[in-house]
Amino acid sequence: MTVHAHVAPSGTSRVATGITRYWGIARITPLGELLAPPRLSANALRLGVQIFLVVCLWRALYAQTSHVAGLTREQAVTYAVLATLAGRMRILDRRYGRDTVLQHMHFGTVIYWFLRPLAPRRYYVLRALGDQVYGFTWALVGYAICLWAGAVSLPSSTASMTAFVVSMLLGQMILYHVMQLIDLTCFWTLHNSAALLILQFIQNLLSGSYSPLWFFPDWFNTMSSFLPFQFTLNVPLSLYAGIIPPSDAIQQLCFQGAWVVGLALLTKWLWRRAARRIISQGG
Amino acid sequence: MTSIREAVKHVSENRSISRSWRVTWQFIRLNIRSQMEYRVNFFMSIAIGAVWQVSIVVFAVVLLTRFPGMGNWTSSEVLLIVGMRMLSHGLYVLFFGRIFELSSLVQEGRIDTFLLRPLPVYRQVQLAFFPANAVGDLAVALCLFVDSLIRSSIEWSPGRITFLVAAILSGMLLEAAMFTALSSIALHFPTTSYWSTWLDELMGTFGSYPLSILPRAAEAVFTFGIPLAFIAYLPAGVLSGRSATLGVPESLAILSPLAGPTAFIATRLLWNHSLRRYPGMNS
Repeated sequence: MTVHAHVAPSGTSRVATGITRYWGIARITPLGELLAPPRLSANALRLGVQIFLVVCLWRALYAQTSHVAGLTREQAVTYAVLATLAGRMRILDRRYGRDTVLQHMHFGTVIYWFLRPLAPRRYYVLRALGDQVYGFTWALVGYAICLWAGAVSLPSSTASMTAFVVSMLLGQMILYHVMQLIDLTCFWTLHNSAALLILQFIQNLLSGSYSPLWFFPDWFNTMSSFLPFQFTLNVPLSLYAGIIPPSDAIQQLCFQGAWVVGLALLTKWLWRRAARRIISQGG
Repeated sequence: MTSIREAVKHVSENRSISRSWRVTWQFIRLNIRSQMEYRVNFFMSIAIGAVWQVSIVVFAVVLLTRFPGMGNWTSSEVLLIVGMRMLSHGLYVLFFGRIFELSSLVQEGRIDTFLLRPLPVYRQVQLAFFPANAVGDLAVALCLFVDSLIRSSIEWSPGRITFLVAAILSGMLLEAAMFTALSSIALHFPTTSYWSTWLDELMGTFGSYPLSILPRAAEAVFTFGIPLAFIAYLPAGVLSGRSATLGVPESLAILSPLAGPTAFIATRLLWNHSLRRYPGMNS
C-alpha cells in the first residue's frame, strides 16, 4: 500500500499537476464572476449600453463633416467601439474582493505571496492571465455582435487584420507590465491609492481610450510617441482602422516588442527588490 | 413658568444643535489630520480630483476644437453644459460624495458603529473621511465654468444669474439623490456598488453633452429614467434660449432647478426608511 507513496511522480504527471495548479490559480477571479449570474447580465447590459451611446456620440459629431484629422466617420466609430471593447479586457475589478496588491499591502496579507511554494511574480502573472482571458472572451463576443450590427467595420485588408492581432497581443503585454509597475510601486509607498489613480488616468489618456490620439495636437502626439502607453491601444486600433497603413506595421511592432522586453526586465528586477523590503503591516 | 420652561428648552435645543455642528467640525479636522499622516498621498488625492476632471475637459476640448458643434449646439453652448455639470459634480463630491462608498462601509461593518453614536448616520457617512480629491475637482471645475461663461454669448440678468445658481445647486442635489437612492439599496445589498460605478461612468461620459444627439428613446431614458438631463442639459438649454427644442415641455425645462431638491428630499426619506430596516452585518 505504501509503495506507491514513495514512487516519484513521472515527468508527465508533474506537468499535469503543474497545469492543474496553475489553472486553479488563473481561474480564481473569473470563477467568482461566473458564480454570480446577476453580475454577468449586468456586465452585458453595461457593455451594450456603453457601445450604443459611443456610436451615437461619434455619429453625432460627424453629422456636419466627413473627415476630421484624417479620420472618416466609419474609422472614428470603429476606433471608439473597439476602444470600449478593449476596455472590457480589464473588466475584472479585484477591489470588491479585497484582492488588489494595494489592499494586500494595507491588510498585511501580501506576506502570504512570499510564503507560498510559488514565486509571487508567477502567481501574479497567472492571476493576470486568467483575468485577461476572461475579459478577452467578453471583448470577442462583443466584437462579433458589433460586427453583425454594423457598429464596426472589418479592416480593409488581411494584412491590416494580421498586424492588428499581433499588435493587440503585444499591446496587452505592454499594458500588463505597466499595470504591474503600478502595483509594484505599492511595495515602496504603502499608501498610494491617489498615485495609482493618477497613473491609471495617464495610461487611459495617453493610450487613446478617452479619444483617438489623432485628434490631439501634434506636440501631444510627439510626447506620447516616447512613452509606452500609445502602443497599448492607439497603435493596434489605428492598424485595424487603416489609419496606420500595413506597410508601417513592422516598425510599430518592433517598437512594441522593444517596450515588452524593456518593461519585462524592469518588472523582474523590481520583484526581486520588492521581496527584500516586504513588511507585514501591524507587526 | 411655562414660558420659562419653553425658553430653557429652546436654549437647550440651540445648544444641542450648535454642539452637534461643533462635533461635525471636529470630525472634519481630525479626518484632515489623519490623512495628513500620509502627506504625499494627501496632496496626490487633491491632484487626482483635478486630473479626473481634466480628463473630461480634455475630451470636451479635443472634440469641440476638432468638430464644429454637437447636435446643432455650438461649441460654446456645449461648453456651458460641461462647465455646469462639472461644477455641480465638484460640489456633490465635496458635500455628499462619501455616499458613493456606502457599500464598503456596510461590508466593513462601520455602519453598525455609526448607529451607536449620537449623530445622524447619513452625516456620519459624509464624515467617514475627508474628500481631498474634491478640492482638485472643484478647482478645475471652477476654472472651466468661468471659461464657459466668458465664451458664452448669453446676456446676463439678475433672473438668469439666479437661475444659473439654482441650477448648479440643483445639479449637486440631483447627483446626491441618485447615489443616495442606490445607497439605500446598498444598505441591504452591498454589491450595488457595481451600479454606482456604472452610473458614475454614465454621468461622466454623457452628462456633459446635448442629449439631442441620442435617439428619442435614449433621450427619454436619460430624462425620465436616469434624470441626467436635469443636471445640466435642460438648464443650459434654457439659458441658451433653446427651451423649445429640448424634447420636453418648455415649462418642465424652466422648472428643472426644482428637480434636485425634490429628488434629494425623496431619496433621503427612502434612505431613512431603508436604514430603519438595516439588517446589520452577519445577521
